[in-house]
Order: sequence, then structure tokens, then C-alpha cells
Amino acid sequence: MLNVPIGASTYLWAFPFGDARLDLAAHVAYLGFDVLEIAIDDPALVTSEAVKTAIRDAGLAVSVCGSFDDQRDVSHEDREMRRKGIDYLRTCIDIAEAVGSPHVAGPMYSAEGKARLLSEQARGQQWSWAVESLRHAADYAVERGIRLAIEPLNRFETDFLNTVEAGLCLCDRIDRANVGLLLDTFHMNIEEKSVGDAIRRCGDRVFHFHACENDRGTPGTGEVAWHAVFPALVDIGYAGQVVIESFTPESAELADGARMWRPLAGSSDELAIEGLAFLREHLGSK
Amino acid sequence: MSFRYAYNQLVYYEAGEDVASSIERVARFGYDAIELAGEPDLIDATEVRGRTTSAGISVSSVCSLYTAERDLAHPDNTVRRNAVEYVKRVADFAAEVGAPTIVIAPTACMKLRPLASPADEHRWAIDGIRAGGEYAASVGVDLTLECWNRYETYWLNTLEQGVAMWREAGLSNGGVMADAFHMNIEEASIADAIRETGPLINHVHLADSNRASPGTGHIDFKPILEALVDIGYKGYISFELLPATADPIESIPAPDQEKFFDPYTEQAITYMRALEHDLRALGEVAR
Repeated sequence: MLNVPIGASTYLWAFPFGDARLDLAAHVAYLGFDVLEIAIDDPALVTSEAVKTAIRDAGLAVSVCGSFDDQRDVSHEDREMRRKGIDYLRTCIDIAEAVGSPHVAGPMYSAEGKARLLSEQARGQQWSWAVESLRHAADYAVERGIRLAIEPLNRFETDFLNTVEAGLCLCDRIDRANVGLLLDTFHMNIEEKSVGDAIRRCGDRVFHFHACENDRGTPGTGEVAWHAVFPALVDIGYAGQVVIESFTPESAELADGARMWRPLAGSSDELAIEGLAFLREHLGSK
Repeated sequence: MSFRYAYNQLVYYEAGEDVASSIERVARFGYDAIELAGEPDLIDATEVRGRTTSAGISVSSVCSLYTAERDLAHPDNTVRRNAVEYVKRVADFAAEVGAPTIVIAPTACMKLRPLASPADEHRWAIDGIRAGGEYAASVGVDLTLECWNRYETYWLNTLEQGVAMWREAGLSNGGVMADAFHMNIEEASIADAIRETGPLINHVHLADSNRASPGTGHIDFKPILEALVDIGYKGYISFELLPATADPIESIPAPDQEKFFDPYTEQAITYMRALEHDLRALGEVAR
């Protein structure tokens, strides 16, 4: 048993997340989680002091996850747009430091939903901009003791980074010790030849982990190769957080963005409770 | 008795290959049939008939391409009429090349937002499927209703949803498609979904979890083949393999496009025939 902290994302219940939904700290603690992952949809809605207090009062740990719209694009061809992307990452890093998150996680290399077919040359240029921007962000983060956990997404959500192999290549190019990957079983189920091997290959570069079912429903009820996931996490001695991410159907905008067109559980609470029970059974603790 | 295998022309076609070369390749690697891309105005039926006959293979099916202009549920009546005309043309094309079934879908692929109320869209789709299906029946062709994953449509994602729509359309010529790539994203269990759909499955697309050749991803095809044997599936198993891009019907080139020609055409049938062989051999022993 790994006995790692298990968490739930605010996306299960709220969008956009902000101070107004800090009731979720007590709620996920009540459901039995160790971690609340907060999505920084709009930094103006989030006050670090309020988050810190709510998290502390609930006896939780916290994870900061970024959300990357077309105004937060560190590999955009326009320098000004890249600067805005880096500024947003800095804000997330500041929040992470203030609230006690070990990392800022998410698909921070590009705006989400950019899934065009680029020429090799255009792709190379986009990668160079991402490397340059994320190096700036990593240097800013390291001074604050924060790691960057970069998330590969499946082919339908980005053309920039789909696999662990490509993710490790990006980490090598950025070349900073505080840069690693966030692996998400939903995306890996589409893109990896072997989910277990991908986790092992990533090894100590797995900085953060999302445990999601193949349809983003309740973990443990679908086609994800959990029998390969858990031993691989043990093999690499994973000691970070494991977070359930799904998206509440109550926000049309969020469900639309995540392409979730039908309810995937009776309710978000049900998904969280049953998913947590499944993860506890295999990951232990509490 | 063993399954009959087909390879979907789509990936070759999008790369600009002529149909003669595609038929030649599919025959060379021992396929029973080719699945054609649904472009009846751009692919010559007479040529297909001649070349498949001399190569000794059949046409398993026609994989209709539901672009935005071919949307059976579009609020504009002209678009809907155009979509029904398209279905009829594909049915004629299928009849000419001897394909038993054509793919149908309630709306355009990659359309991710409804353009009208759900009730209107639903009614238009059912009307269009019926109109297309009745015409297809008149030329001796079946329909295969296809469900796509959430990134390709907001509408039919699971076989259960597909079955409900098919039943409502009330046609007797056809059924629904089981496509392993989509099902790996949408179904709680691929094999269970196949069993639950049973005799209503009239066409099968197989691709691995990464949409490339079986054996290059992590889908366990053994329970899938077992389920197909259990339901007494008699149709074709067609490999619809596509590069890792967001839009399945946009033109490639993708960086690894070459693999989808000879290498995956060979690997897909070799892999699945070996698996089927082992499975049926075990079945003999068990009996």
C-alpha cells in the first residue's frame, strides 16, 4: 500500500471555483478525502488567505491546478500572449506557495483545445516558445519551492502533448529539476500503449496524478487498467497526491468544455464517495 | 467458421491514394473485403467492382462521411434534404459495389453543439434515418448506426443510446456499429456492451486504444472476440485505423501516416487472426 493522500477536484462540484465555494473544503473532508484540488479558473475569485484558512480548518492538504484558456497561452506566436500566459502561471505559483500546494499542475504548455495539424516546422517553433516560457515559470517557481506538473492531454484536446514520452521530452528540453508531469488515467487510456509502462517510464518525474475512469465516471467502474496502474505507482515509489477529476454536469460551460454530454454517475457526491472507496482499497491509508 | 476481415479505405483515401492501389493492398494482405469511404461522386463504382472482382475480395460496407453539409438533423431544411440525398447516393453506391451495409449517423461528425432544440433535432434525425433506410432497403442495402466518442459528437456516444435510436427509427434493414476505439472511451465494459446489444450489432470496427493497429495499444481484444462469438456475430470485422488527430475526417498528413499503409494493414489482420485462432482452438478443447 502506497498510503498516499487522495483528493478530489473542485470541478466535481463547481465552476468557476472561487472563495464562494470554499464550503467544498469541509465537504470533501467530510466525504473522507485528504486533499482538495482547487482549479484556478479565474484568479480574481480566489483569495489565498481564505483558501488557506478553509483548508486548514478542514484538516486537508491542497493542490493547485491551472486552467488554460486562449488568454493563457505560453506557446502562442504573439509574444504579448505568451507573456500573459506566463503571468497567469506566476499568479498560480504565488497562490500555490501561499496556500501550501506542492505544485501547480495542468496542461500549461498551450491553450486547451488547440488541436490543429501543424507542419513540423510550426510545431517545432511552438515547442521552442513553450520551452522558453515554462523555463521562466520554473525559475520563478523554484524560488518559492513550487514544482510544475505538466499534463499531457489526449489528441482531441491538444495537438501539443499527448503521451508520457513526449512529456518527458518536454521536461528534458525545459531542463529544470522542478519540472515534471501530471499523469491522468483518462488521457493515458487513449494515448498510451501500456499505462503501467508509461508510469514506470516517467518514474520520479511523476509529480502529480489524476485517477479518472475511461469515461470520467466513477474510478473503478470502467475500462481503465487499474490492475496495471496501482503496481506501477508502487514500483516508482510514488509519494505525491492522487486526485479524482471529473466535471459537474450542473455547469453547462464546464460539461461542454469537457465534452461530457451525459451524467456519468448518480451525482458528483456518489462519484466521489465510491471513487474514494475504490482508491482507498488499493492505495490505503486513513 | 471464422470471422471475415475488412480494412477501411478511409486512411488511404484521406492521404490521396487511388482506390485501385487500396484494393490491391487489402487483397495482398489476405483480407476478405475492403470498406470504402463514402464518397460516391469521387470513387468510381464500376472500377471498384472490376478491381475487387479480379482481386477476389468483396466490399464489406461503405463508411459514410457525415460532414457539416450532410447533417440529417440540421435546422435548415435544405441541408437536411441534402443529407438524405447523400444517404441515398451512398446506398446506390453500396448496391453497385455489392456492399451489404452503409454507415449512418444522426448528425455531422465533429459537430459538438446542437443547432436547434433537442426535440427538433431528434425528430429530424429519425425522419432522415427512416427516409434513408427505406430507400436503402429498396436497393437491398442495410444501415449501420454508428456511435462516436464525446469529442466527435454530443449525441450518440454509447451503444445503449444507439440502440434506443435504432429501435425508434423502427427499420428492419440494419443495426448498430460496435467500434472498439470509441467504446474504449465511452463504455464501462466493451465486451458487456457488445453482449447487451447482441443481434442488433451488424457491423464492427476494431482499432486499438490509440486508434492504430490492434497490438499497438492496450485494448484486450480477447474478451471482445469472445463476446462477438457469443452473440453469433456474422458480419465483417473492419479495421478503421486513423492517425492521432482531433478530426477523423480532416485530411492528413500526420507524422506517422506511412504506418497506416502496409505496416498496419498487415499487422491488424495478422494480430486478429492469430487471436481468433487461439480463441477458437481453446473453444474446441473446452468442448
